[in-house]
Amino acid sequence: MISKILKPVAVVCIFFLFIACGESTDVVDSGTYQGTISEVEAAKTEIYVETTDNKTLELYFTEETKLTQNDSTVAFSALQEGQKVEVQVEKVGKRLDPISVKILE
Amino acid sequence: MDQIPDFWRTEVFHPLSVHFPIALLLIAFVFQLIALRYKRELWEVGGTVLLAVGVIGVWVAVYTGDLADGIVSRNLCDPTVLKEHENLAYVTAWLFTSALVVDLLKNYSGLIEGAKMNYLRILLVLLMGVGSGYLMYVGHLGATLVYQQAAGVYQPSADCNEFN
Repeated sequence: MISKILKPVAVVCIFFLFIACGESTDVVDSGTYQGTISEVEAAKTEIYVETTDNKTLELYFTEETKLTQNDSTVAFSALQEGQKVEVQVEKVGKRLDPISVKILE
Repeated sequence: MDQIPDFWRTEVFHPLSVHFPIALLLIAFVFQLIALRYKRELWEVGGTVLLAVGVIGVWVAVYTGDLADGIVSRNLCDPTVLKEHENLAYVTAWLFTSALVVDLLKNYSGLIEGAKMNYLRILLVLLMGVGSGYLMYVGHLGATLVYQQAAGVYQPSADCNEFN
């Protein structure tokens, strides 16, 4: 009886832990990177970009961030998961400030 | 800045809400630890009540932390500390939530009795012990964000003019 109860409890606990571990992010040097948007957090005007060399960049837009598509300025709502982007970032301490984000498709 | 900012800013609700679950969950762990040895209703029921209220509190803290994250991240010099704080806070919250499920199962399922009950008691204390370790480390990370990076903290001007 006890193992019948404990096993599912253990499985659920491990499942929770896997869910909870979340994503880790990377710090890169200032520069321009290409990658794919893995997550968009509209409420925080924040995006996660998976670069071509498997780094995850967490980018909080600032008032200076330029967002463009086909050379035109677009609103943050134009960003979607799965889009290919080119981002220019400035490393400040260990924070990455996005200077520009260009939607490539 | 000419004026002192309003105290009731969104990012302030996180430090206002985190200390309740920290206190409640750590004391709940002590209660359950004592209950493991003495098995008296006071410790078991007290531990369950503290755990239940603490679990509600920890999810409130996670919610207010998420609100604060969107505001303070842009000003931190090392937001990777915030990311670790956030990730481990979820681990902590789920550990104590799992502990609450085990505790309720132990107390109210009616399926478990006698010596087998001790296995659930041990599992409960283990989950809460690991959770307490995470809780203290998450709290430490939160403190470093405030005291080393001034997360959510208003920094007065050099001449304190806004206080005149």
